[in-house]
Amino acid sequence: MPEIKVTPLGAGQDVGRSCILVSIAGKNVMLDCGMHMGYNDDRRFPDFSYITQNGRLTDFLDCVIISHFHLDHCGALPYFSEMVGYDGPIYMTHPTKAICPILLEDYRKITVDKKGETNFFTSQMIKDCMKKVVAVHLHQTVQVDEELEIKAYYAGHVLGAAMFQIKVGCESVVYTGDYNMTPDRHLGAAWIDKCRPDLLISESTYATTIRDSKRCRERDFLKKVHETVERGGKVLIPVFALGRAQELCILLETFWERMNLKAPIYFSTGLTEKANHYYKLFITWTNQKIRKTFVQRNMFEFKHIKAFDRAFADNPGPMVVFATPGMLHAGQSLQIFRKWAGNEKNMVIMPGYCVQGTVGHKILSGQRKLEMEGRQILEVKMQVEYMSFSAHADAKGIMQLIRQAEPRNVLLVHGEAKKMEFLKQKIEQEFHVSCYMPANGETTTIFTNPSIPVDISLGLLKRETAIGLVPDVKKPKLMHGTLIMKDNSFRLVSPEQALKELGLAEHQLRFTCRVHIQDPRKEHETVLRVYNHLKGVLKDYSVQHLPDGSITVESILIQATAHSEDQGTKVLLVSWTYQDEELGSYLTSLLKKGLPQSTA
Amino acid sequence: MREDRSPGSDSLFYGLFLGNTWSLDPTAKLVQDNPCLTEFITSVLALPEPSPSILSFTLRLAGILAASENRFQLLQQEKLLVRLFGRDGPLNSALWEDASVRSGWVEGVHSMMHHQPALRFLCDGGGIDVIFTLQGDPSLFVASAAGQLLVHMLTLSVESEMTKPLSTKDCDWPACAQMIIKRIEDSLQSSSSSHIEQSLKLLTSLFGSCRATWTEVLWLGIAKQIESFLTEETVQAQHMLANLLLSMAWSPVFCDTEGGFWALVTSALEHLTPVQAGPLAVGLLRLYKCPQDVRIQALTVLLQPMDCILRAASQPLEYAGLLDESVSDPATVESLLSSKSSCVSLLCQTLAHLEELLSLIHLPVDLPYTSLLHSLMTILQFCNGFLSPASPLGSTISRILINSFRVQRSALDVLAALSERKGCDTLLGSLFDVLLAYLESPNTSPTVLKKTFQATSKWLVRLQELSCSNSQWQQTEKILEDVFLVLQKRLCSPCWEVRDSSLEFLTALIKCLRDQDEFRQSLLSSEVLKLTENLLEDPESYVRASAVTAVGHLAFITYFAPESPAIGNQYNKENTVAKLQEILSTDPEGFPRRAVISIFTKWLRQGCTGQLEDTERFVSRVIQTVEHDLDWEVRLGGLELVEVFCSQTICQLGLPKCPYAPVSSAVTSSIHQNESLHIFCRAKVFNFLFQSLCDCDKPVGQRACDILLGLRCNFYPVSTLKDSQGAEDSRAGRSVAWLQRTLRQGSLAQSFPTDGGNGVDFQDPESMLLALGTIDLEELHDELNKSSDHVEKSPQSLLQDILATVGTIEENEADCY
Repeated sequence: MPEIKVTPLGAGQDVGRSCILVSIAGKNVMLDCGMHMGYNDDRRFPDFSYITQNGRLTDFLDCVIISHFHLDHCGALPYFSEMVGYDGPIYMTHPTKAICPILLEDYRKITVDKKGETNFFTSQMIKDCMKKVVAVHLHQTVQVDEELEIKAYYAGHVLGAAMFQIKVGCESVVYTGDYNMTPDRHLGAAWIDKCRPDLLISESTYATTIRDSKRCRERDFLKKVHETVERGGKVLIPVFALGRAQELCILLETFWERMNLKAPIYFSTGLTEKANHYYKLFITWTNQKIRKTFVQRNMFEFKHIKAFDRAFADNPGPMVVFATPGMLHAGQSLQIFRKWAGNEKNMVIMPGYCVQGTVGHKILSGQRKLEMEGRQILEVKMQVEYMSFSAHADAKGIMQLIRQAEPRNVLLVHGEAKKMEFLKQKIEQEFHVSCYMPANGETTTIFTNPSIPVDISLGLLKRETAIGLVPDVKKPKLMHGTLIMKDNSFRLVSPEQALKELGLAEHQLRFTCRVHIQDPRKEHETVLRVYNHLKGVLKDYSVQHLPDGSITVESILIQATAHSEDQGTKVLLVSWTYQDEELGSYLTSLLKKGLPQSTA
Repeated sequence: MREDRSPGSDSLFYGLFLGNTWSLDPTAKLVQDNPCLTEFITSVLALPEPSPSILSFTLRLAGILAASENRFQLLQQEKLLVRLFGRDGPLNSALWEDASVRSGWVEGVHSMMHHQPALRFLCDGGGIDVIFTLQGDPSLFVASAAGQLLVHMLTLSVESEMTKPLSTKDCDWPACAQMIIKRIEDSLQSSSSSHIEQSLKLLTSLFGSCRATWTEVLWLGIAKQIESFLTEETVQAQHMLANLLLSMAWSPVFCDTEGGFWALVTSALEHLTPVQAGPLAVGLLRLYKCPQDVRIQALTVLLQPMDCILRAASQPLEYAGLLDESVSDPATVESLLSSKSSCVSLLCQTLAHLEELLSLIHLPVDLPYTSLLHSLMTILQFCNGFLSPASPLGSTISRILINSFRVQRSALDVLAALSERKGCDTLLGSLFDVLLAYLESPNTSPTVLKKTFQATSKWLVRLQELSCSNSQWQQTEKILEDVFLVLQKRLCSPCWEVRDSSLEFLTALIKCLRDQDEFRQSLLSSEVLKLTENLLEDPESYVRASAVTAVGHLAFITYFAPESPAIGNQYNKENTVAKLQEILSTDPEGFPRRAVISIFTKWLRQGCTGQLEDTERFVSRVIQTVEHDLDWEVRLGGLELVEVFCSQTICQLGLPKCPYAPVSSAVTSSIHQNESLHIFCRAKVFNFLFQSLCDCDKPVGQRACDILLGLRCNFYPVSTLKDSQGAEDSRAGRSVAWLQRTLRQGSLAQSFPTDGGNGVDFQDPESMLLALGTIDLEELHDELNKSSDHVEKSPQSLLQDILATVGTIEENEADCY
């Protein structure tokens, strides 16, 4: 039976380092190639040794698909393609291809800068890796090779994020990557057609959460920023250059406009221009409102948000600064944080997750005295706020996507085991499909029931309808014919046509059975007794006694011989064609019961 | 931790924590002094339902603690180990279902396996059976760890418990080894292919890691059984056999033996399918200690597909082929190549193996290079549809291969590698026909084109070498002309990948061929120069960066060439330098700016920037441009430029570059010292260097400090360093003292005062000489060289994080971007 195998090398019952291997109809595909921000040794990348055991990477894998530009989905890609040695095709959407190298470069710079690592991928490797990438459009069916095709669907989440359908013949898998089922200020909601895949691999970050309204969170955010600015404090918002940053910028920009606020808003780093450039370039990927208003006003051209200069941090008075990187682990955001941390009027708002070890993580977990470099202790007096603006589907959204796609099986990744377990039960209950949640390194095998299309010859169809079989969708009927498999296609035709087409002669197949009966009489007398018996029982059939001593019942032939060793036993040889299988079997069982005494 | 309320990243915490535990004191004192460790284990064991992750952590922690024999005994006394790793432990509970618990168990056992008591503890408790079962675990990680553990235990048992050397007749294995070997033998004889596979894997890993003579004794006991796998169709273990034999071939225990082992290898090469035998063959060909006949056979396996291609493409009897047919039967390979499903993969595998062989500097065998090249060209022609032979096999293969990017990529890689080998010169003309066809064809994909460029540049170098000796320059000239024509077209491609690869190709060519007249002439007479300069304004930053590099290298054959050829006015040196300067100061992206600074440094290194005065102005301008660059790598590049400038200036003015060089007379030395100091001050070198010490990006500070230390060596012999205490009397002294204080704080705060430095005149030679002599650069150097990791990843930081995270709000848990 055909099967689909899924092995997560990362994201199996865990968040971070997504990397999932799928084998479908003999094709091997890697879904995402992410890194773990929490480690700075070998463990930060997925363990690719499992794949290298199967021979050369490039020979084993047919393609790599990247769902979006976040590093936990693409951070290991240059390592995989330029250092481990994968040389095959890599697919992602156009915006992802444009933005991915910026984040990879940023990550590389911080790693080399902060950790002084030398054995790390270089700028050249990132470029070489990106040159291997084939960019795809939404809903475009891309033929990876003759059998394997992929298709991207809109996933929301971040600019360019996509869900991918992977299809070989009639078997298919959909991988969601990270997605969001509710539109936000700059992106639309994920959408997929009713493609009924054999398997849907879905993220499950918020498997048990029904998220409160986005509006509440936004209001809360604006209120906090406003209050701080009103009392003359400074607000630091550490962000990654692309993604949530744009969402929050739009939010603040509109609020400032509405409230006619004067406090300056800055966006640090040289990436701003580039980020906004891409948002303008890929305007079709944003939501409807932005697209509609684009002609009059580009939402990404901000009136109130200005470029930040290092010197501004010391300016007196209130201000809001968006600075990178988002986890306060290096660079400008950390520099500003150090300057502002000591003043209780100020505030830092963390709009996303921070990995262990970073200053962001420390302050979020409530630490107020931080050891900085050079044994300095930094006392944090400023307010620390956490606000989740990450755009993942919540439990309701995940269920909604399953309803949309109608998969035959579901597999959960990118979430925590306990929460997945809960969602898994819910999915199985509501949709009556199997749901899996393999851990990293565990292989899940899903058996598929491929439907194979067969063409039926007109002749056969006419014949079948002539005997009263009217086609009906609701009542499947059996149809007899000969299946011809030729040139990768299947055709059902009448046996005569098949013989003719293939130039074959018809052969008769007969079944033969010996029945022993006790009868001391001569052979021809036994035959006569059998004839009379059958004649009496089978009134509607033509039973004949032939001159050569044999009996026929329709096409069935019965002959009698004496047993070589025991003359008192007669052997009846019953032989019939396969078309008369039913009658033949009946006759055999009838004769096995013996002959009635009365006929004697 | 025990309460396990810590959030989703808990397994990360545990992993990091255990990473720190390894460096612990090996004595039992650690456990005695820290009763919390055993208390922790006891209380986890007492939990009715510990979470899988906490249990897994406990298993691993206990294993690490039990690695030393003393601590092992201590934990044993408290009966902790038996409760964790014994039958009544997790392995018989429902938690065993969780892969992380099984993984923790295996890792824990592996960690403790450093002494005999641990071995005995496990063997007596039936642990071996558990590990053998885990070899077939649904989790790949657990299965592979279990295999590794068995290898480790077997080696440990034999090497620590053996009382007398083993002989082949009397196999008196120690008890634990005996148990493992018996299990291996049993599973090899079983009918289960998964058991056989696991044992073969185990043996492969054992023979690969252990080179002791006892492995041969073990082998002799199972050799017959393994030999039978080659011929028995029922056992599907052939693919594992190649790996096993290869790992044995690398072991001196087996490769030095006469007969037996090599006969088995020969038989394997005969019986395995070409796809299975390929990895074995290439592995054998890399060996130095391999019998010649085995080597020839391995070569046959590898070359057969290439031979088959050649024969398929030629008329009968026209081409003798690569191989003598009597050695091998080509039928299997032919059938594989004529099947759609196997042709591409067999060819790609073969090509990858050939590339692997060709990349070796010392190849133990001679390959038939000419025929190989011919075969590669044939494959490439099949792929682009330029060759459709009449033979049935040829036409089938060519139909399968047409437009196969995979095969094209692999073939071009081999082609590039082959250029290093001598002996293919007769085919050069037709080879360039094939390459040019690829370069010209609109069907060539960007990745294939990039590889074609790489192969072409390598073969062009080869062609030049030949044309020098052979006076084939007419042919060379024609080829170069054609290459530049197609390059012109490719430089205008709408696809940035193609433009970028074209520029990289051009740079590679200039690097290798800039001294060749024909090359220079062909290049200068083409439109390539103009097009390359145009690409300095490409919308794609990668392309702009590559264009900068290409223009920088082009300058070596135009403006900086000894007899600079007459070219159009718009290409003068000043224009180009100004253009690159502009990119350095205004390009919104880092790559082009980084490319400019590295080209400037290259020019400076090669003495292309003119007289010292011109150079001084040039460097000064560059410094002012880069010192405020947002990209730290650009600033770092600037420092590199400064370093070259300093050493060149000092060198030119006759100061010794290193302390061991002959010292010039004191008077001239001081004059020159003075002069170079003035030059550095005028060029604003010190301003840049001292401010960089407080750069918010550490590598910049480190580099600046290194350069300053180097400069100090030049200006002060070790004994004459100034005492900073007495120097504060003068104005210069006061400002330098201020600088010293600022640097100390600034390098920690990673910022230099924005007002520019409170009266320190970085252009005053006297102050700077004083600064170099008094500022404690060594201390700064040590401070800067401490990685930020020592704070972030320290055990204290980790512990604080763990403690602080317990009870954090739920929503943070599984949040991510």
